[in-house]
Amino acid sequence: MWDGMIGGMLTGISTTLIPMNIGMVLFGCFMGSLIGMLPGLGPITAVALMIPATYGLDPSTGMVLLAGVYYGAIFGGSTSSILINAPGEAATVATALDGYPLARQGYPGKALAVAAYASFSGGTISVIMLMVFAPMLASVATSFQSADYFALMILGLTAVSAFAGRGGVLKALLMVVLGLMLATVGTDQTSGVQRFTFGSLELLDGIEFLLLAMATFALTEALSIILKRDASSDSLNPKMIGFKSLKVTKKEFKQIGPSIGRSSLLGFIIGVLPGAGATLGSFMAYGMERNLASPEDQKMFGKGSLRGLAAPEAGNNAASSGSFVPLLCLGIPGSGTTAVMLGALIAYGIEPGPRMLTASPEVFWGLIMSMYLGNVFLLILNLPLIPYFARLLAIPRNYMVPMILFFSLMGVYLITFNDFDILMMVIFCIAAMALRLMNFPMAPLLLGFILGGLMEDNLRRALLIYDESLNFMWERPLTLGINLTTLFILLFPLLRSFLSDRKSEGKPEDKEVAA
Amino acid sequence: MAREKIGALVMLLFSMAYGLLALRIPLSFMDQGEFFTSRTMPYALAVMGLILSLMILILPTADPAGKRTLKEETHGMDWKKAILLVIGMIIYGLVMKWFGFIISSIIFLLCGFYILGERRIKRMLLAAIPLVILLWFIMSALLGVYIAPGELFYMLGVL
Repeated sequence: MWDGMIGGMLTGISTTLIPMNIGMVLFGCFMGSLIGMLPGLGPITAVALMIPATYGLDPSTGMVLLAGVYYGAIFGGSTSSILINAPGEAATVATALDGYPLARQGYPGKALAVAAYASFSGGTISVIMLMVFAPMLASVATSFQSADYFALMILGLTAVSAFAGRGGVLKALLMVVLGLMLATVGTDQTSGVQRFTFGSLELLDGIEFLLLAMATFALTEALSIILKRDASSDSLNPKMIGFKSLKVTKKEFKQIGPSIGRSSLLGFIIGVLPGAGATLGSFMAYGMERNLASPEDQKMFGKGSLRGLAAPEAGNNAASSGSFVPLLCLGIPGSGTTAVMLGALIAYGIEPGPRMLTASPEVFWGLIMSMYLGNVFLLILNLPLIPYFARLLAIPRNYMVPMILFFSLMGVYLITFNDFDILMMVIFCIAAMALRLMNFPMAPLLLGFILGGLMEDNLRRALLIYDESLNFMWERPLTLGINLTTLFILLFPLLRSFLSDRKSEGKPEDKEVAA
Repeated sequence: MAREKIGALVMLLFSMAYGLLALRIPLSFMDQGEFFTSRTMPYALAVMGLILSLMILILPTADPAGKRTLKEETHGMDWKKAILLVIGMIIYGLVMKWFGFIISSIIFLLCGFYILGERRIKRMLLAAIPLVILLWFIMSALLGVYIAPGELFYMLGVL
């Protein structure tokens, strides 16, 4: 196994060290930081916006670029959280809890530097773990059959919904179903029958995933800025961040070091779980650190604690790398962003999953090794450029929003050259905006859409192999195990609320007994 | 009515329409007598959509954010500008074929800046024109992608 890993690493290093790929890592990190920093735009939007730029590239180069954009955007989101308390997405909300108070106390540079060091450490530690665990899991997954894949996809989709939070499970599941419904539009690959095309030639090939990603994220997020009159960037004075203020003392490093180590480990484990992603990673790391802190330190959390800032930053970066494990090994995206990357992989003609390790080792290992480089670049790039990047936040929204809309529309148009796609994007944007206003999440929709075709194929194949019987769901121990996990994940929120209800019911009685 | 209940109602109607349309999916010769046909997945999805929508409608709303009404949620929102931008995008999609990439993109950006309150023409032109020309240059000159000029130029005999 180790020989294979060392061989793979060498393949990865040789792929990453091609000047073109080094340039792409740098470009990806830069663009990711830039886009992720804009209030309202998260990594999903950043990756979706950059996909059109990768279509002319070699698949390994394209993936290296997109991975750079991904963690660049995560870091960029932290910058806007710290400076203007405007997290680009949910994963950086926990960063704002202590980062923004620290910036308000006059230490914005220090807060950004701590975030940069924590991101770098979290990212690097989790990439080492990714390098060890991904090939192990991929080699196990080569024995997977259609039934297992189908079960895994159900698990992935359920997990995304289960982590949606209190009261959000049903809505997330409904959005998954909507995504699966949209995936059925077009020509059925097996029978050649047209489904839901309404006689339109443009719909014969189905809905372009990039179109849906741009419409549901980039366009709606840009319009949300206008609808909600978000003027958070107006409060920023970029001149307040100078080079000198970025210094972190030795004592402070000692203080945050163990927090970063613990949070990275936790973040990676959470990231590996399909559906959990960086948001849960950052919040759990923050919660763990607060629980582990002394009562005196605990009082500082939420008021500018360095540990409270470093923990979610390390946690969300580690979780981002961790979410590549199910993507690379099983072909199941662990988060909304990796779902978009899965779509890109499919568009390159690469079959994601365990066979990718043997069929496209340069993509598999190139991506992993490029993450090392990306983390280094992110640190080198971000620390000196923070004061300049911050100026971007001061771009008035009356210029920023039309440009985001323009790049989103162009991102799709310049690939398909079909003006019908622009109109379809607007229709999806309106629908997505309405669903968002009604408090329905969009990431599960995208996940369902991307997995829809693969899921139907695997279900059809499994039924064919098992002579049209549903026995495939429980006949093999592996499939049964995956299905039981799905059931547990699905029932876990119910179980949790039942237990908490019982606990709250029990409390008055306890008081009575005590009295 | 809580906003997520309205969403569930919309999704219920959508699932019903989807299910009805699924009935119209033609069956190929290969599908005749098969257990799993082109209709199977859409049927299953329509049923799941119906069940989940009904569950959200019937069960009490647990999510505090979902309990707010649509009126409360949308109160104070800048609808005028957002609707104008959406209309701008639709027009952009419609005129692209006739005016071509460069002209329609510049007009779209200028309109976008104007809708959002910018009135300094020089600044608007300086932001829109170089951006579109740069993108066009990257696509056509560097990446070799052919971007067709607008049909209007052919009709007017300019090209």
